[in-house]
Amino acid sequence: MDKSTNKYLISALLIGVMFHGTAIFFTLESTYDALIHLFFGNHYANNWFDPWSYSWYTGFTVMGYPPLVHQSIGLLSYIGGVKFGLFTVAIIGIILFITGIYRFALVLTSNRNVAGYTAIFAVFSSTFIETLHIFGQLPSIVGLSILLHALPEIYLWIKIGKYKYLVNALSLLAVTVTSHHVTPIFGMVFFIFPLIGMIIMDASREKVNSYKEVRFFLFFKTFLSLFKRIVVFGFGSLLLIIFCILPYWVNTKNNPITQVPIPHGSRDNFFEVTSSGLVFFLIPWGILLFILPYIWFRFYSKRYLFFGLSFTLLTILGTGGTTPIPRMMLGDNAFNILTLDRFTLWASIMALPIFGEFGYRFVEGDLRQKIQEKYGGVYRRVLGGLFVSTFVFIVFFTMSLGYFRPFQPQKIKMLPILNFLQQDQHDHWRFLPLGFGDQMAWLSAQTNAMTVDGNYHSARRLPELTTRAVERLENSKFRGVEGIGSLQQFLTVPEKYNLKYVFSNDKFYDPILYFCGWQRLRQLENGIMVWEKLNIPPLSSILPKEDVPTFLKLMWGLIPVGTVLLAFIINIQLIWIHGLKSKHKSFPVYFKFAVAYDGFKSSVIKISHIWGVLMIIVFGIGFYLLYIKNAKQISPINVTESYYDALDFKEFERAYSYLDPNSTKTKDQYMLEIAVTDGLLSSYAKLDEIRVDIIAQTDSTAKVKAFTKWVTPLEKIDKTFFHELIKEDKKWFVKTSSYDLDIPPDQLFVENTPNYFNHGRRRITSEQTYHEDVLKQPVLEVLSAKIISNNGQYAIIGEIQNIDNVPADVVIAGTLYNEANKKLAMFNVKHQMKHKLMPKEITSFRVNFEGIAWSNHEERKPETFDPDQFTPVNLEEQPTNFDLQCAGNVATVDLYKGVTINELSIQKDHIEGVLFNSGLQEVTIPLLLVSYYDENSELIWVDHQYLPEGIRPQRKQYFDYKLLDISTVSKGENNLENVFINGLLNKEISNKVVPERKYEHQLIPLIPISGKGFSYVKLEVNTYIGNPN
Amino acid sequence: MKLNKRKRYIILLLFPIVIAISIAFTNSTTQKRNITATLLTKSTTFEAGQNIQLDFKLSDSVETELFLHSSYGTTVITPNLSDNTQFDIPDFMANKKGRITYTLVYKSKGIASGEIKIIATTEQKVFLESYIGPPSIIAGGRDYTMQTVLANDSYDNPIADSTKVIMKHQFLDRIEERELYSKDMITWTNIFSYKQSGRMLLFSKVHATVSKEFSVEVYPSLPENFEITSKREHIYADGNQITEFITSIIRDENGNIVSDGTMVDFSIKDKSGLLLHTQGKTIEGKAVAKMLHPSHHEIWQIKGYVHGMAESNTLLLEYEAVLDDFNVQFTNHNREIKVGPLISFMEQLIPDGAIVKMNIIKNGVKIDTKIESSSQGLVRFILQEGFYDTGEYTIEISALGVEKKYNDIRLK
Repeated sequence: MDKSTNKYLISALLIGVMFHGTAIFFTLESTYDALIHLFFGNHYANNWFDPWSYSWYTGFTVMGYPPLVHQSIGLLSYIGGVKFGLFTVAIIGIILFITGIYRFALVLTSNRNVAGYTAIFAVFSSTFIETLHIFGQLPSIVGLSILLHALPEIYLWIKIGKYKYLVNALSLLAVTVTSHHVTPIFGMVFFIFPLIGMIIMDASREKVNSYKEVRFFLFFKTFLSLFKRIVVFGFGSLLLIIFCILPYWVNTKNNPITQVPIPHGSRDNFFEVTSSGLVFFLIPWGILLFILPYIWFRFYSKRYLFFGLSFTLLTILGTGGTTPIPRMMLGDNAFNILTLDRFTLWASIMALPIFGEFGYRFVEGDLRQKIQEKYGGVYRRVLGGLFVSTFVFIVFFTMSLGYFRPFQPQKIKMLPILNFLQQDQHDHWRFLPLGFGDQMAWLSAQTNAMTVDGNYHSARRLPELTTRAVERLENSKFRGVEGIGSLQQFLTVPEKYNLKYVFSNDKFYDPILYFCGWQRLRQLENGIMVWEKLNIPPLSSILPKEDVPTFLKLMWGLIPVGTVLLAFIINIQLIWIHGLKSKHKSFPVYFKFAVAYDGFKSSVIKISHIWGVLMIIVFGIGFYLLYIKNAKQISPINVTESYYDALDFKEFERAYSYLDPNSTKTKDQYMLEIAVTDGLLSSYAKLDEIRVDIIAQTDSTAKVKAFTKWVTPLEKIDKTFFHELIKEDKKWFVKTSSYDLDIPPDQLFVENTPNYFNHGRRRITSEQTYHEDVLKQPVLEVLSAKIISNNGQYAIIGEIQNIDNVPADVVIAGTLYNEANKKLAMFNVKHQMKHKLMPKEITSFRVNFEGIAWSNHEERKPETFDPDQFTPVNLEEQPTNFDLQCAGNVATVDLYKGVTINELSIQKDHIEGVLFNSGLQEVTIPLLLVSYYDENSELIWVDHQYLPEGIRPQRKQYFDYKLLDISTVSKGENNLENVFINGLLNKEISNKVVPERKYEHQLIPLIPISGKGFSYVKLEVNTYIGNPN
Repeated sequence: MKLNKRKRYIILLLFPIVIAISIAFTNSTTQKRNITATLLTKSTTFEAGQNIQLDFKLSDSVETELFLHSSYGTTVITPNLSDNTQFDIPDFMANKKGRITYTLVYKSKGIASGEIKIIATTEQKVFLESYIGPPSIIAGGRDYTMQTVLANDSYDNPIADSTKVIMKHQFLDRIEERELYSKDMITWTNIFSYKQSGRMLLFSKVHATVSKEFSVEVYPSLPENFEITSKREHIYADGNQITEFITSIIRDENGNIVSDGTMVDFSIKDKSGLLLHTQGKTIEGKAVAKMLHPSHHEIWQIKGYVHGMAESNTLLLEYEAVLDDFNVQFTNHNREIKVGPLISFMEQLIPDGAIVKMNIIKNGVKIDTKIESSSQGLVRFILQEGFYDTGEYTIEISALGVEKKYNDIRLK
């Protein structure tokens, strides 16, 4: 055997470092995880020994994640900043991975050429590319690579029994433990156990002449003879796992993860959710799929038998929810906590040496000869070409996946946000980014300001978050009811979290912010809209913190880097010199067990051929099914669905292509009509579900009814559309529908409106605002307030008026008490009021007492999506008392009041009517507030309805409101005893400011309707202006 | 043997402990002499900022210390280097108004004590801290703002009680001056609003020191009843033009124009008794609200009000129907129905967008409603084959308040 430098490994290292090392600059920052690790790294750089971070989740401990990789980033950041640290660690990870897989392959195959091939294949393996460039799981890569490095040492210890090898093995394992916690635990099961099996097999083999002669009895005897070493190693590694990250275990015990399972794509059924199948199955397996029979064949040879079992197990676990087996094997609990993609990762990594072996045999070994003999050289070259091109295609595909389907929002320039947070003490409040993706971690790493959100969900403590399967508030729109529900709670009661600023990078969230009482501050240079909430107290200067004993802090801060230093000192010659140039007198003992590569079995070639053809057929069928499913115009249902799909994705040109080509509507006309429609449905909705029913069909025409379900930030909208369709040239088309032909009377019109401006501070000073610059809080008066209950749910309803001379932003917080004045629940008014009131304007309001959803584990969470869903708070006792704390602050924006109720007609249990926008702004989302009164004109209920379409100036909009049956609502007594305005008693304000109130005005706007449980109804309109001009 | 050894160790250990304890509890028996002291400094009242020196006469020349206590704290000072009976009171005490008690201490024993008084300095400039609040009040004489002045000397000591403070304010064409005397550190006065609204400027003066200018906004009081008028381009119910409702200038009880932005609601009762609603915000007391003309004959009773505070007269507006009748043509085996031309009040075509509604009834059951808006005065409905079977239908068409019914329309 030649002892020269392994040229394959050298090339693999060079290519690997150049290829991945340059590519990470374009990929790593837009991966899912990398920026989280960056944030942690930054934490260690600033507070090495303090595990408490205030930045996220109202404070959390970083002891929830093994620290080595983060601390390395932190250490390197002292040289060139955190990003330098991140990239350097990534490059180190790449090198470790390539050398690690080389050493693993060497143990497994005992052939330096095969190991070299493996190293090269590993560089381009789609599973590694995906883990690094798409997921950015650095700790996982580093942990696994070090584990691979440890395997040869473990082999030598158990086989030979020299303590030197034990020390080597354990030192490397310690590094693995401190870099990733799941890897060593599962690594024990899936990598080390089969390795031990193989060692025993090898040792048994020494006693006989061939593997065939190794029988169970012999195997068992050998096992007993090696038992002591195995136990020593086992205990040693167990001790390491416990000791090296002891603070982690202590933390896990003290702060058990209360988080409910968060859905993860790797648990999906890959046939149902094809995107998950692609990302978590097809890509990581990649080309390995085509040589699966060979891998199985080799792994089930006697020597590798245990690897075969492990590999099989990993493969099955990696299929997620496609089959019920993983759930059965892991149990419900583990299945819902673990992300199963790691099993696929380990399986494909385990298969790499076999793939390397296959490559070696195909390129220069017996397989080459066999194929050449059997099918001729041309065939072999063609086959080789096919293999290589598939391999290249998969690499290209995986690398460019993030380019064609971005996983993250566009890169956000953080500087304007950082400047904003630093100016004018804005970092004295918490902020919340929306629509930032994982870049929120990068923002947090750069600022001292804190957010209520965060990106490491195992560490959360707020029950509002842990009880919901929400990854982040920031991307809550992707998490349906739970996401929007969680977000709404934070936005409705922001005082609780000192949350004053929201940075919105996604206009989807704008309506919910507005209707929760937030206002736009300004747009930063990077296009991020800043929203603020008035009346929020700043953070106190001392924040709560959970401290841990000093010895844990010291362990956490010192051990991980210590393990690296130790491992480095012990193993330096092994990793480098041994890996690249073997100066050892003899080869390691496992070289004895090399398999001679002669006589490739014909049956394997045959089966592989059949398998390959099968795979091609499967892929072919897959593509065909995809095509048929996406064939747009072969039936009325398809074309209707496609039409709505196009509208949903705002691909209006495509939508136009489904319209009747014979219609008189030109593309320009169509685009123009689309351009002028605005509203909840057309601007803020996402199509959730569509069902198309054919009402009537002839050969060439059809009439369909499309039931659509739209998800909006505010509520779920069910809407039924009717379409007529026509068939031309075997293709179906949707007939164009008419649009609003209404002509407004005025071409140009003028209106006077009062506009307001508040200087804030009149002097430019970094001091606190001068007292003469502080405006008086507008005086409000509550006209009525009472507790009511409806089906066991309590609410406070009432009416409030701004009796001051300036516009007011109104915040109403209600608290329920029992008879003994024990506080039961507290909440703010969400959207059932007008938050901005002009002088003397009045609004009805309702405070709902919202609880934390599904805090009780027995409650089943609903299967379908409903952002409007409401979880009432669980009251232990019957509330009898309440108080209202109302605060007014001078408002200067969102004061548009131009919508009138122009026509009404009362049907049986409906109010139909026309809203007319008489002003100058385009109303994006009108909200109808409906107050119900009893026969004594006493307020008994407040309801609301969003209108799905906007209203342009001087245009009409129809509405249809279904009256409620409120006979179940218990009427409460009007009680203004404990109502406070800006901290003062409402009664006193009322007596002082409006002593001669004309109470009969209360009756003027009441529309008499005798309905179920009510006698009058009052209508009010609140409007959200999406683009104020 | 073993026992003995242990005993020896115990003795060895006990010995140093006993010695240590005995040293610790030993009292020195030095003798105390009786020293007396008298204060030589005559004055006991000083102005803040003065250099205060206390001189003592001792019966014997010994080292003494002076123990000082004031509201700012307690300290012990040593005598001046030049003379061991002379003490300089430190600045942080000498600059603060109040009493300082002193005790001359010799060997932890007080040998003389007394009190000195420090008053605010009158030599240097007075500093003013002044506050106004609330920054906005309501006209009419019931509401008031409070002006508070804290006058201090240059060492931040409140000046003596009964110092004269002049407070002035200007409102419209009057300037008023009040002469007040400080008491318990502060001087304050309530300034009630006048009948008019506007801006009040205030300032205060102590000795030669004047404060900066403060302003208080005087907002008008609650609105009083007002009148409303209407303005419309024509009297026809074309569903297209806009009627404006305009208030008279709304004033409070003192004749002040109400603040801009005051919300005026307009409640409109139509002839079927339903309530429509519009609103306007005042500018210079006038609010303008708009409504679209109805699309059929209508009588509106309009009343404006500021909720709970003021209301207007009731205005009666009648809108005349623009047409009495329209044409309906059935063609193409009754499957194409053309409505119109819809002719408006001068025989012009009605502006685009007039709503035409068609109910399709079969065997007494309404099976469909079609709504179209007019274009060029015309609306066309098509009843497609396949969707509407052959048979007898009843068609109801309504537009601009006119309803027409066609029985027994046969579709082929």
